[in-house]
Amino acid sequence: MKPEATDKPLIEIRNLRKRFGTIEVLKGIDLAIHRSEVLCVIGPSGSGKSTLLRSIAFLEAYDEGSVTFEDRLIGYREENGRRRRAGERELNADRSGFGMVFQHFHLWPHMSVMENVTEALRVVKALGRAEAEQIGREMLDKVGIAAHAAKYPEQLSGGQKQRVAIARALAMKPRVMLFDEPTSALDPELVGEVLAVMKQLAQEGMTMMVVTHEMGFAAHVADTVVFMDQGRIVERGDPGATFADPKSDRLRQFLNTWRERSI
Amino acid sequence: MSFIETYTPLLLSGLWATIRICFLATLLALPLGLGVTLLLRRPGRALPALARLYVEVMRGTPILVVLFLLYYGGPSIGLVLEAEPVGILGLGLYGAGYFAEIFRAGLQSIPQGQREAARMLGIPSWRILLRIELPQMLRLVTPPVINQIIVLIKESAALSIITVAELTKIGAQIANETFAVIEPYLAVALLYWLLIELIALAGHWLERKAKHG
Repeated sequence: MKPEATDKPLIEIRNLRKRFGTIEVLKGIDLAIHRSEVLCVIGPSGSGKSTLLRSIAFLEAYDEGSVTFEDRLIGYREENGRRRRAGERELNADRSGFGMVFQHFHLWPHMSVMENVTEALRVVKALGRAEAEQIGREMLDKVGIAAHAAKYPEQLSGGQKQRVAIARALAMKPRVMLFDEPTSALDPELVGEVLAVMKQLAQEGMTMMVVTHEMGFAAHVADTVVFMDQGRIVERGDPGATFADPKSDRLRQFLNTWRERSI
Repeated sequence: MSFIETYTPLLLSGLWATIRICFLATLLALPLGLGVTLLLRRPGRALPALARLYVEVMRGTPILVVLFLLYYGGPSIGLVLEAEPVGILGLGLYGAGYFAEIFRAGLQSIPQGQREAARMLGIPSWRILLRIELPQMLRLVTPPVINQIIVLIKESAALSIITVAELTKIGAQIANETFAVIEPYLAVALLYWLLIELIALAGHWLERKAKHG
């Protein structure tokens, strides 16, 4: 779905800066994500794309600039012109619109698939077991894992684990899904099943931000592609034009390397 | 052999005292150690520094010195206790320092991403601790905790110096009465070994049980 230019963005990022010690990993990022937009962030390792995603989720506390979700500042409270870190409850409220999927799944290994998906429903939304499991089954069904509900994560393949992780995030009814290299830890033959689930989500109108090395996915599913290098956004645009006719040397070089590798 | 007939009840009373003391000391040390570990993770500097200091002091001090301080120094701060309670308290405080280190390592070996996933879902940190970290941590630390309990049982021999009638003290007492050294201490060694083998067996059983759910 194409974002309308007049739409107010769901997430707005302004002049975002993040330092680790003396190294600045995000050097002033401006970005907007609209409702139902699928935005893919590509770029070489160390370009800051994962840090950008993690800063939006406030898993990293950004140093300067702002991230707002429907005009709500994420991770900080501004009082009397000063900024303070949000407390745990405030932060949970800030993040309640976000669902996040990690490269290494991060399922809880001591809980069954169903327990992984229903834990937050029971603890955060205080649903009873039956109600939570009904939602859990719906979500597992959606990602094609319903048959494995009673299994433990170690009994699943990487692709299945990642689909459970997606179901776990979806169960909380997020407004935006953040994907941090969701297929990078998978065996090549398992990548497709995860991308298929993500594509289906995109078609249903989910707002998505995906940090990825999957150029095919970016080309076919994304509304917008953002290319990052050395902590900056170098280029952005619709995937067709961006991939066919890169404006910067850096992106041209990046795409060439990728094409050579994938022959 | 008349030695065995005569002294078996006495030796068994010593064994029982050792079991009782070590059980109570472990019962004190485990929750105290967990408390120290959790303090280490508190935000800010003061509480983690205090917890760190506790661990360093307990690791850096021989158990005998801890016992002397409590037994002879205790009264000067109003802590007047019989030898056995002092022994339990000393062994418990001492063990807590080691258990804290074991628990800390156990928590650290749980991938940070599991906590991040939970936080992104809005799960409060105390629930993350209770439902996600502790169940995994307890499985991970079962072998080193059992090992540390065994070490505590052996360290408990030091309680004989502050006159607690535990197994080693009983052995010394029999040696004094009979002028025989080999027999009583062999008997004592055998009883320690049996007790520790039992604990090790229980540990293996717990490990297997934890592995299979």
